[in-house]
Amino acid sequence: MKHIRLIALAIAVIFCVGLFAGCGETNYAANNTEYVIGLSGPLTGGAAMYGSAVANAAQLAVDEINAAGGLNGIKFKLIATDDMNDATKISTNYSSMYESGMQVSLGSVTTQPGLEFKNLSADDNVFFLTPSASGDDIPTNPNGFQMCFADGNQGKVAAEFVNTNYAGQTIGVFYKSDEAYSKGIYDQFKTNLDSSINVVETTFTEANSSDFSTQIDTLKDCTFIFMPIYYTPASLFMTQAKDIIAADGVYYGCDGFDGIDNIDGFDINTIPQEITMLSHFNSKATEGPAKEFIDKYVEKYGASTLNQFGASAYDCVYAIFNAMKKAIDGGKDIPVTISASDLCEILKAEFNGGFTYQNGVTGENISWESTGYVNKGAIKYIIKEAN
Amino acid sequence: MELILSTVINGLSLGGIYAMIALGYTMVYGIAKMLNFAHGDIIMVGGYVIYVFMAFHNPLLAILMAVVFCVILGVVIEKVAYKPLRGASPLAVLITAIGISYLLQSLAQIIFGSANKMVTVYDFGSVTFLGATVQVSALVTLGVTVIVMAALTLFVKYTRIGRAMIAVSEDKGAAQLMGINVDGIITVTFAIGSALAALAGLFYLLKAPSISSTLGAMPGIKAFTAAVIGGIGSIPGAMLGGLLLGIVECISYKITVIAPYTDAIEFSILIIILLVRPTGFLGKKRREKV
Amino acid sequence: MKTKSKSFDMKHYINYIVIGIFTLVFGIFSLAGGHLSNSMVFLFEKIAISIILAVSLSLVVGFLGELSLGHAGFMCVGAYLGGKVACLLEPMLGNTAANLLVGLAVGGICAAVCGVIIGIPALRLRGDYLAIVTLAFGEIVKSIFQNTSDESFGGALGLTTPRYDKKYLFIFAFVLVIITLIIVQNFIRSKHGRAVTAIRDNEIAARATGINVTKYKLIAFTLSAFFAGIAGVLYSFSNYTVQSVKFGYNYSIEILVMVVLGGMGSINGAIISAALITFLNTKLATVLTGDLAVLQNLLYAIILILIVIYNNAPKLKSFRAKYNIRNLMSKIIKPKNDPSKRKDDDAKWDVVPTKIEMNEILSIDVKPQKLGSDKKEGGDK
Repeated sequence: MKHIRLIALAIAVIFCVGLFAGCGETNYAANNTEYVIGLSGPLTGGAAMYGSAVANAAQLAVDEINAAGGLNGIKFKLIATDDMNDATKISTNYSSMYESGMQVSLGSVTTQPGLEFKNLSADDNVFFLTPSASGDDIPTNPNGFQMCFADGNQGKVAAEFVNTNYAGQTIGVFYKSDEAYSKGIYDQFKTNLDSSINVVETTFTEANSSDFSTQIDTLKDCTFIFMPIYYTPASLFMTQAKDIIAADGVYYGCDGFDGIDNIDGFDINTIPQEITMLSHFNSKATEGPAKEFIDKYVEKYGASTLNQFGASAYDCVYAIFNAMKKAIDGGKDIPVTISASDLCEILKAEFNGGFTYQNGVTGENISWESTGYVNKGAIKYIIKEAN
Repeated sequence: MELILSTVINGLSLGGIYAMIALGYTMVYGIAKMLNFAHGDIIMVGGYVIYVFMAFHNPLLAILMAVVFCVILGVVIEKVAYKPLRGASPLAVLITAIGISYLLQSLAQIIFGSANKMVTVYDFGSVTFLGATVQVSALVTLGVTVIVMAALTLFVKYTRIGRAMIAVSEDKGAAQLMGINVDGIITVTFAIGSALAALAGLFYLLKAPSISSTLGAMPGIKAFTAAVIGGIGSIPGAMLGGLLLGIVECISYKITVIAPYTDAIEFSILIIILLVRPTGFLGKKRREKV
Repeated sequence: MKTKSKSFDMKHYINYIVIGIFTLVFGIFSLAGGHLSNSMVFLFEKIAISIILAVSLSLVVGFLGELSLGHAGFMCVGAYLGGKVACLLEPMLGNTAANLLVGLAVGGICAAVCGVIIGIPALRLRGDYLAIVTLAFGEIVKSIFQNTSDESFGGALGLTTPRYDKKYLFIFAFVLVIITLIIVQNFIRSKHGRAVTAIRDNEIAARATGINVTKYKLIAFTLSAFFAGIAGVLYSFSNYTVQSVKFGYNYSIEILVMVVLGGMGSINGAIISAALITFLNTKLATVLTGDLAVLQNLLYAIILILIVIYNNAPKLKSFRAKYNIRNLMSKIIKPKNDPSKRKDDDAKWDVVPTKIEMNEILSIDVKPQKLGSDKKEGGDK
């Protein structure tokens, strides 16, 4: 009667596990000795460079804060889990971070997993300030805030720029059809574009993101090309197109362009065309907080992953730190074992109540709207003038 | 007209790369009867080796090292991972190949980091003829692919090793009885396949000078598709399938409305072709015996 | 079920019993207001989905003997269509069990229809040609959903679906696992199932004995696709969004790995390996954080290669006979197979499918045994 024994064993095991599960607590942070910040991002796979940049820069900020004595002596700890840009991984990643004491979070690095993250964190009421998940839907819950510009906003600003400068002309658009970031900006761009402007558009997908000869051929007569894409495919496009697109052409990108001048082996000066972007961070900044950040980041992690993702993450950590500090100065009590939900209420009150983060790497006087969108100046950077 | 010309040339050069990878797929399949899912990742390894040796600013040295390194890697993988499984279920070999593919990708990320590496091997520039502007590297790719395919066909037809390969692919047992060193032949096949993959890596870099750890995954699948369209196991078939796929891809990207569906279109073409010709264009029809 | 065992044989029911008890214990615990941690609940949901996928793929790969690399495509159809219907019905039905059931029915049936469509080329193709067609199907489905408009299926952002209450969903999911097992195992043990395995072992001989090969291949494909669709609907209810990127060939391969590691043609093996692989993947992702994250793929790959070589290498046969995990497992899970105690006409569903030969799965030709090739290995059990 082996079966009976087996079944008894199975039942015993299940009961043991069940008992274990029963020992759960509602405040998982009760045993924390440091404030725990959680982060989910693609640390491996095709989008890993963005996730690593965020994880590196956030760690840099945390280390600095800790070296300076933390928040009233309490240090911070960063947990960065890998979601491989796959939304399915979020549920277990998020809950394991939450259960290991996460009190506040940087959300998800990319938009698609971010859509999962925002709802899970809303269930538990965990505050998040995402550095780079720029989807319009990301901060819709009260607990979510963005440090980057929302996609729709970027598309709109870009369309306004084109409307004033290229009325009645033909422009090219090059976007990635299966990426939320690119598609989000593109959709708003198209909606806000004047009908007088003639658009030649072409796309690529994740599966074909290196050979752009056909797309370049399509766009070869355009002198202004709007490219709401990230810098890696952009740099490839430019390299392949440098002799084909007119030398006085303009490549106009959004914040995804940032970092294009730091790619290992890509000499931006070999591109004859002008490269311009609308962004909150300039990785070639020569002064101010941006410069300090760049120096520190490059010293520790090298220039190859230096981009606006990291800069934004660095600001996120400091913004959360400053908001917590402000709350404490304002009489709030934030013990190290505060539950995520309690901390969320405090931070929400700060972020909705006129908290301003000054002298950020990605802008001065950064504040937030009650919708969770960020309020700061977008600057048009000319990364490289036409030769 | 110039539009058609440039599209076709771009398509042919992309197809040339697919064909180059598909040749490796098809040869390994023909001889070892296994789907080498890690084949695409050899391209990526080749790319990284070129990147490393381009530090010496000598393209020829870099290419040579890439080929040598990939050949060694291919043979080592065969000896370590596939040879112990000879005679086991082919699905087990397939899963091992997938494991190798994950292994190579994660090793590449650990060694070279997550950011793309860019490297310009040689700038051929571009030419304009008949009004169409094309990159010279596209023409080079196409030319080299044709030469390699011709050389490979001759090699298989007229050399001792080549004929031994045909014998092994026809009937392993009988080949062994005829005194052919089957293990040796399989090793040679992997070496040739890996060398071709290294060349494919080079052409990728000529086209789009950027390497990441996932560089080889999708081209690998596309090349597999190409090999099947042409008839898996057939060398001219791989060439034909690769070129066809490349042209279809470029034409599809040209037409704005269907451009986002390019992958779907390529794969639909595969299904349609297989419905009409179940063994691809040049695949051998084998009668089933009881 | 046409063939009736005369005595109640526990062996046939062991997996229902274990999963049933599991579901009951945790279900009652959760319903009674006990606290299950979210990470555990999410893991349960994932494991249940993986088990349904592995068991349904096992039907095609293990029992029909055809290689399918597009299982995630069927799941994608189920997830999107089931999820969409649930979205549309939410104002009327709310986020209730009724909504879930309607979603399951729609998703499952739509996926089954796709199963029929992809089953038709399967009648003409064999081996790798079929493998690439199924892979192509998966990629086509993915690509189509990726490019839908925002209003219909959400395009690149994915479809936002109602997430079912996590307190109950895993119970539902495991009940569905049991239903899947009942249907699949009864199918395999029935005369239809044996026709399917006969086709796998020798298609020509099967045809010669009057088995309607076309019909049975289609049935197997459709059934397999149906349950993949069910898994897809569960997926859409266990996530806030359904994103088509997930359903590429990589995911299909992951499911295939579960089936192959579990042992071809073994349902119990598929269940165990699906649960273990899902657990391993989740644990690697949550334990290896920060800079260590790059190690997860490396570890996964190394474990995978070692297991496959250990389990299958002909040279390790004597070693395996000594230290066999599967033997150890089978000592715990099921009694020793004692051939002397078995009657010839006694239908043993888990004993029928054992032998899969190289040429029958991955090659277009079916040949008699060849000289010099090691043939004994396929029957290793």
